[in-house]
Amino acid sequence: MAEQAYTVASDSENTGEEKSSSSPSLPEIAVGIDIGTSQCSIAVWNGSQVHILRNTRNQKLIKSFVTFKDEVPAGGVSNQLAHEQEMLTGAAVFNMKRLIGRVDTDPVVHASKNLPFLVQTLDIGVRPFIAALVNNAWRSTTPEEVLAIFLVELRLMAEAQLKRPVRNVVLTVPVSFSRFQLTRIERACAMAGLHVLRLMPEPTAVALLYAQQQQMTTHDNMGSGSERLALIFNLGAGYCDVAVTATAGGVSQIKALAGSPTGGEDILQNTMRHIAPPGAEASGLLRVATQDAIHRLSDQDNVQIEVDLGNGNKISKVLDRVEFEDVNQKVFEECERLVVQCLRDAKVEVGDIDDVIMVGGCSYIPKVRNILKNVCKKDEIYKGVNPLEAAVRGAALEGAVTSGIHDPFGSLDLLTIQATPLAVGIRANGNRFIPVIPRNTMVPARKDLFFTTVQDNQKEALIIIYEGEGETVEENHLLGYFKIVGIPPAPKGVPAINVCMDIDASNALRVFAAVLMPGSSSPVVPVIEVRMPTVDDGHGWCAQALNVKYGSTLDLITLQRKM
Amino acid sequence: MLSSSPSSFTHPFLSSSPPLSPLSPPSRMARISPPLVSASCSYTCAEDSPRLHQIPRRLTTATASLYDVLEVPLGATSQDIKSAYRRLARICHPDVAGTDRTNSSADEFMRIHAAYCTLSDPEKRSVYDRRMLRRSRPLSVSTSGLGSYVGRNWETDQCW
Repeated sequence: MAEQAYTVASDSENTGEEKSSSSPSLPEIAVGIDIGTSQCSIAVWNGSQVHILRNTRNQKLIKSFVTFKDEVPAGGVSNQLAHEQEMLTGAAVFNMKRLIGRVDTDPVVHASKNLPFLVQTLDIGVRPFIAALVNNAWRSTTPEEVLAIFLVELRLMAEAQLKRPVRNVVLTVPVSFSRFQLTRIERACAMAGLHVLRLMPEPTAVALLYAQQQQMTTHDNMGSGSERLALIFNLGAGYCDVAVTATAGGVSQIKALAGSPTGGEDILQNTMRHIAPPGAEASGLLRVATQDAIHRLSDQDNVQIEVDLGNGNKISKVLDRVEFEDVNQKVFEECERLVVQCLRDAKVEVGDIDDVIMVGGCSYIPKVRNILKNVCKKDEIYKGVNPLEAAVRGAALEGAVTSGIHDPFGSLDLLTIQATPLAVGIRANGNRFIPVIPRNTMVPARKDLFFTTVQDNQKEALIIIYEGEGETVEENHLLGYFKIVGIPPAPKGVPAINVCMDIDASNALRVFAAVLMPGSSSPVVPVIEVRMPTVDDGHGWCAQALNVKYGSTLDLITLQRKM
Repeated sequence: MLSSSPSSFTHPFLSSSPPLSPLSPPSRMARISPPLVSASCSYTCAEDSPRLHQIPRRLTTATASLYDVLEVPLGATSQDIKSAYRRLARICHPDVAGTDRTNSSADEFMRIHAAYCTLSDPEKRSVYDRRMLRRSRPLSVSTSGLGSYVGRNWETDQCW
């Protein structure tokens, strides 16, 4: 693949500006892409059904990696690896979904340090240094760049097969991704010449596919009396995601979402540490052998592992399922915790769940299936979806729906009503995080809260926006900040600072702030509107710097007023 | 259902300017500043929208009751309410409403959702019904914690 169109179409952080402005005259059907930590797939509505594209090797699931072997980097779409181990020589960069948008203090980044390519951390809260080994030299790159190279190849492959330009995409993303991480994904897409119509949390894409299947099986068009509750569980290589959805009449309402960066990669690393001596984790052969053993443990009680680490070091071990489950107990506990939390947040009784849907490569692990059956009190897991294809199929359906495509047979009379996976709010009452839009609020959403000054004659106030679930701001992701100026002199507690947050259907977040004084019905200074996120790098640093510079002089507290 | 939660209280300047088009900053600012005096302005659809006919006009008036918003009779069963919500979602949700009126449909859909949240919860619904009976005119969509849909016909709004 020489001279690829590796063009940076837009370097704008806020490419979402134009998200909803696709040309109405000639609807281009957006393609759906499931960017997996280990595998990707791409699908499109072909006029009557979802069609998953195959690469030149006839694969629907394409390994997510980019090798920097030659002058021109090549991704897993076009690149034929001579052997699986070639991916593990340091020349290939993979697992970018685990690394994108994370700083070097993040445990997930640290867990990536024994991958064959270079992940260097300085532990100060900046982006890690990532490099591939090319001719015995470390060539630097970034997760965004790797993802963009890969996406360009996917795009070219799709354009060749669909015989049209491909620009609009719907991508699936982990539930636990922060808005900052989402901007990194959008940026990678922009670099690859792709325009993001929607970023869908993975289980919500599956929910849309499920809604279509329900719509097909029940002829009841408006779904009266046939609402079905489903719990959707996704465990991939990088992330675990859970959703509870209520479905009827082709409309899937997401009632709750939960997710964490826990996945097959953790299972793989735990297992490698268990079977090999310390320091051997970086061995490519060990990685391949362990992965293979884990796959076989899905239908065998024990497996024999033989690895030659070189220098006379050999591993010969029998790993049984109980041992495997012990080693990974923490991962499985985390899965269970997420399922329980999601059920609780959705305010549904376990007994009311009609279907339990499991997707993702790790959903085949017997222990994970048992956890889901136990928690949801089900004997059977839903059989209607292919665990490895459900997300991309859902994304392709969403692509067709948001592109305004109509299907005469009603196959696209579908809708997912999304919910916010994380709360967004501001810092107030000291260093508390005060959510303005709580987690699991229906999208589009608009909510506001009133705050007031903490000092007499306070003229200015800092609005610092965070996203997350922690009670203190330190536990959450900083999204951005701005200052309100020109507050009229008044005793503390008198001015009312209105902070309003708006999330539109394409998930863009805007924050409005206005200053109101008693007796006046209009804001006393111009309203400030800021699109989030505004911070770029070194998140923790900005918050610390603000604290050092201003202390509590520009603080706010929530306004308790008798209404 | 107007609780003492500050979140149920929205200043007119935000809730009365729904068609905040992210594409046109100048007009957006213009929308925010002027309507502050007239606290009686209602939710407006883009009048020029060709697909406006899909949305019954009364949905956009501030005096509509929650039942009007969902287009169901006062005695509707919870099943009717669910079905109505889904039917309206399929028309009004920004994902399906068409790109030419994404902003106004987001506001309509949020109103519909707020109405649904109240009427689908038996407890909230009975509270709402009692309030509605007590008042000579119906309350507009104003449920606690459900955001910015405080009716413009409520006198206390004016104190802000």
